[in-house]
Amino acid sequence: MRALVLGLLALSGMAGASDMDDLLSALKQAQTLEARGVVEVTVLFPPRELPTKSAKALPRVPFRPGLLARNFGVSRARQEAVAGRPATRFELTPKNTQAARWTLWIDQEWNIPLGYQESFPDGTPARRAVFQKVNAPPVRVQVAVPAAPEGLRAALIAALPGLRLSAGVQPTAVKSRPNGGLEISLTDGVNVFALVTSPRGVRAAPGIASRRVGTGFVWLVGNLPQSVLDQALARVSRVDTAGLGTFLKVDASNAQNTPTLHKETP
Amino acid sequence: MNDHDLDTLFAQARTPTPADEGAAGRFLSGHRQRRTRQRNIRAGWISTLLASAAAVAGLTVLRPAPDLPASAAYGVYQSAWGDGW
Repeated sequence: MRALVLGLLALSGMAGASDMDDLLSALKQAQTLEARGVVEVTVLFPPRELPTKSAKALPRVPFRPGLLARNFGVSRARQEAVAGRPATRFELTPKNTQAARWTLWIDQEWNIPLGYQESFPDGTPARRAVFQKVNAPPVRVQVAVPAAPEGLRAALIAALPGLRLSAGVQPTAVKSRPNGGLEISLTDGVNVFALVTSPRGVRAAPGIASRRVGTGFVWLVGNLPQSVLDQALARVSRVDTAGLGTFLKVDASNAQNTPTLHKETP
Repeated sequence: MNDHDLDTLFAQARTPTPADEGAAGRFLSGHRQRRTRQRNIRAGWISTLLASAAAVAGLTVLRPAPDLPASAAYGVYQSAWGDGW
């Protein structure tokens, strides 16, 4: 009996590892191959006037395989058709139960994503992009997610002592704001968070925490419960961003956070 | 009235009378008083205006800037996701 239980446990672990490997393999394939067609993109958080729009390709999600494997459990769900193509649905369950969970649909033949969905903890969609129509064949692309600068996390903790970041969350980029302050992008491998130092506060709203520290303010924005956002900033005792200067990008565009599309061939 | 009468009348008009004595002094004195009064009134207005401007400037500088709208934070978050969303 004990051997049977151990065997089942081992099989269960192997299945989880296998699902993770299969998903990471598809995400790796997506760096060089991309489907085109008609994608319905819906963003409900942050709220916008027109939540749904149409696109020719899936928006980029800056997946970071190392963090994803560390912070999420992956399980293969049932097979589903997406835009008429057979696809495998993968469920990404965060180990931090308060983080957003994700669903990915992977094309069974091409082994690339045909859809993503970020869900609130209650399961309702916060962000979703799924093909409605797929053109064959997929196109060749070259996509790279810039590596997070080494030492940035330590510099961030030194700049904002008392900041409570979950162990699995890493800062990936820093850029300056036009009217003073900094914007720091954070990720848990899939989800994205924005940390801001600013001379001004920001009005309270869902997914936004703002706290006065010294003569300035610190904001944290993300798809997390309000209490988690507030607690992350609750003990920040000062803001001294001088040490983050070496991580600042000269170009203040979003390029550093956005996967870079180098070339594309049909 | 002939030329002689007119000359006599003009001569009388040019001759200073007791009423003319000190007229210039009285005029200057009144003029100075009026100027002083006007200056005082003007100075009062300027002082009031300066005080009001100082109060407004002080309030503007010392009052904390109002919070930015939530869209400012959402904009940063959305930009962290990158294009396409």
